[in-house]
Amino acid sequence: MLRVIVRRLLWFLPVFCLVTGITFVTMHSLPGGPFDKEKTPPALVEQMEAVFGLDRPLHEQYLTWLGNVVRLRFGPSLASRGRPVESFLLPGLSVSAQLGMWAMLFGLLIGLPAGIVAALGHGTWLDHGATFVAILGVSIPAIVLGPLLYWLFGLELGWLPVAKWAELSDGIVPYFKHALLPAITLGAGISAMLARLTRASLLQVLHEDYIRVAHAKGLAPRVVTTRHALRNALIPVVTYLGPLTAAVLTGSLVVEQIFAIPGMGRYFVTSISSRDYPTVMAVVVIYSVIIVAANLGVDIVYVFLDPRRRDAS
Amino acid sequence: MNNPWKFLTAMVILTTLLSALVGCGAQPPAQPVEPAAEATEAPAPAAAPTEEAAEKEVVLHTNLGAEPASIDPNLAQDTFAINSLEGMFLGLTNINNVTAEIEPELATRWEVSEDGLVWTFYMRDDVTWTDGNPVTAHDIEYSVKRAIRPETASPYAYVLYIIKEAQVINQTDVSSDTYDIDTLGVKALDDYTVQFTLEAPASYFLAISSLWTLRPVPQWTIEEYGKDWTEPGNVVSNGPYMLKEWKYGEHLTFVKNPDYYAADNVQIDRVEVDIITDQFTEVALYESGELDIAGDGPGTLPSEEIARIKADPVLSQELHEGPRASTTYVGFTMTKPPFDDPLVRKAFSAAIDRETMVRDVVGSGVPATQFAPVGIFGAPDPEVGIETDLEQAKAWLAEAGYPNGEGFPTVTYRYFASSLEEALGEALQAMWKETLNVDVNLESQEWPVFIAGINPETPLGEMPEMWRLGWGADYPDENNWVYEVFHCTASTNYSRAECTEADESAQQAALETDSEKRKELYEQVEALMFGEEVRAAPYYHRGYTILAKPYVQRSYPTFAPVNWDTWRVEK
Repeated sequence: MLRVIVRRLLWFLPVFCLVTGITFVTMHSLPGGPFDKEKTPPALVEQMEAVFGLDRPLHEQYLTWLGNVVRLRFGPSLASRGRPVESFLLPGLSVSAQLGMWAMLFGLLIGLPAGIVAALGHGTWLDHGATFVAILGVSIPAIVLGPLLYWLFGLELGWLPVAKWAELSDGIVPYFKHALLPAITLGAGISAMLARLTRASLLQVLHEDYIRVAHAKGLAPRVVTTRHALRNALIPVVTYLGPLTAAVLTGSLVVEQIFAIPGMGRYFVTSISSRDYPTVMAVVVIYSVIIVAANLGVDIVYVFLDPRRRDAS
Repeated sequence: MNNPWKFLTAMVILTTLLSALVGCGAQPPAQPVEPAAEATEAPAPAAAPTEEAAEKEVVLHTNLGAEPASIDPNLAQDTFAINSLEGMFLGLTNINNVTAEIEPELATRWEVSEDGLVWTFYMRDDVTWTDGNPVTAHDIEYSVKRAIRPETASPYAYVLYIIKEAQVINQTDVSSDTYDIDTLGVKALDDYTVQFTLEAPASYFLAISSLWTLRPVPQWTIEEYGKDWTEPGNVVSNGPYMLKEWKYGEHLTFVKNPDYYAADNVQIDRVEVDIITDQFTEVALYESGELDIAGDGPGTLPSEEIARIKADPVLSQELHEGPRASTTYVGFTMTKPPFDDPLVRKAFSAAIDRETMVRDVVGSGVPATQFAPVGIFGAPDPEVGIETDLEQAKAWLAEAGYPNGEGFPTVTYRYFASSLEEALGEALQAMWKETLNVDVNLESQEWPVFIAGINPETPLGEMPEMWRLGWGADYPDENNWVYEVFHCTASTNYSRAECTEADESAQQAALETDSEKRKELYEQVEALMFGEEVRAAPYYHRGYTILAKPYVQRSYPTFAPVNWDTWRVEK
């Protein structure tokens, strides 16, 4: 087990260099630069580029960047005249991760039981109901669900704030009041995906021969379902959860925009469109670290779910 | 681990741990972000002000719409930054944002030498920085020099090029150290008198003296904190408001400066400025009462919302509309056939149904035929240029050799990606097709690609025939419009126009000291550039559409940034 982890972490180094190198070159080869504005004469654009070292050869810039990242410094944001990238990205990540965690929790608590209930009651109204809700959840995008929720609960009923974020230090009640609608908006899609995946996977497993054998041995239906079927059925679900965790924890542009949440999600888009190279790089680094960690987590969970993996390691 | 519920719990714990890990990683660097962490004297519970305080304290809640890139006056560029710093830093003069007139601010009076080259400003002596130091002429001298030094890399340095030696010094290579900053035409004669020497007589210099780029900045604070000097806790300012808090991507808090020289006239004690980028959310927050104003950031509300607001009995009473000193135009690549023929450009300009554009597509603003809107000094009134005339448009195109559009090649109109620009592009395409029977391709590009793609270095073959640009006033004078945007050599000259009489007149007008003669010259320039040569087809002056609660008494940003110090909240 430890060997798996160590090997994974060592593998991360070449992956890291490759991912950041490709991003660096791609970003710099896009037309347009961070200082191109309607009103700025080209001579002044060049001057700003020189001050921020963008006129130096690309490999030199990359090595400087790499040297800084090793010391956990992401460099100056070009979109805000040299504000350190980590000074706004890490607080943003903290907010996004909190929101993402609540959305995941919502997704898991609704999605897994719904999928299980639908599969077990295959063909009954329970199944149809759960499937209908799941399809609804998958097909209503956050950009519709978000405004719908804040209109209903914020404007019409006045129970919850329309938008904005509250810190835990502002009090536990304001915190959850502000987090609820965005967490549901973000979590609805997750729960629907999870429900569909769990249902499909469990249905397939329930028709396997070994399940029939388990029934034939005279095991109680509950035991067959939980010990034999569900554990196997969860493997695809867990696989899906790895990259999903990375995506959800680093924030969603749409949900953060709709609910005016100061998260990290927006920087995935704005840093590229403003050619803020250091912020783009920082976003890529954070995302790849989280995705590697999440996949590692998935692999560890596999070991618990699948005895064959335990033997292998 | 035989129980799926146990597994589920494990998953949840794992997720929680992962997030906690991320959360922890974020904590330590978060601290230097708010150096004002020790500012515990007033905990400022923004979300829930105590009832006692709320009774006394007058608070305004508004939205900026985007994060200011930098609120350093020498570096500020975007409207979000300019609106933020307007309350913090005083200028020598101030633009009245209703009348566009230049009023005294730090300077109580000024005089110009006979030849128009030397401007002397006499400053009031009762203004102090928030750290107690007096605001002096030396602070202005320092600021102008800082803005011009090439290593400062100020994106707005060019508005100061009229000052003697400014352009030469500013365009010295950044890495070389070959300039002498003391040759720059600015000098503090004594503590409260500052003198500028210009390259050429320029009567618009009075308007320039109001700009943020040359407002006094505190040398000692800048030297102590470097580029972090504008952070809350470090920043020293001199205007009616002080920056108390700045949570990146979330909000800024400004509080009234008790030592401001006219503090008695300032009614609003605290301005809470959110950074909400989604305008539909902004309107919803306005309706829920969390914002007192919506639309002030970009100056407009989304056109989709305006129809609903106008139909709503309450909201329609709170909607304020009016013109802003800002113009949108179709630019022509004048060297690319068939747009090298002025008749073709005239036809395309005359075929734009400006009324329909303003009423049905934009939902705000006024139709335009000239570049600078009326109200800007020198802007012709009534407007000159090419009016919408569909029959005349057809005639011009026929005269150019394309009767009913026959033989006219398919051309391209390029704009930057935005829902409004897309709607405008589609409307233009339809109008040109209907009136001129020509096919126009629409091309949408992301902003940096767009702006880099139409610069004068782009090979002609890659240039679109037509493209969208616009302009907003920095200072209310025609020089900031026809000269700085369309002059054949002094501007970027996106249209690739050759130098003509119009450019000569624009230059002459800049040097002219007689204001009547200046106005005449500018009338000629506008008529030539947009009525004869048709370097571009201005088609609407943008307007503001802002929602404000009835208890907010305020002015609207027609010519200049918002001034919270002149507003009142009467609940």
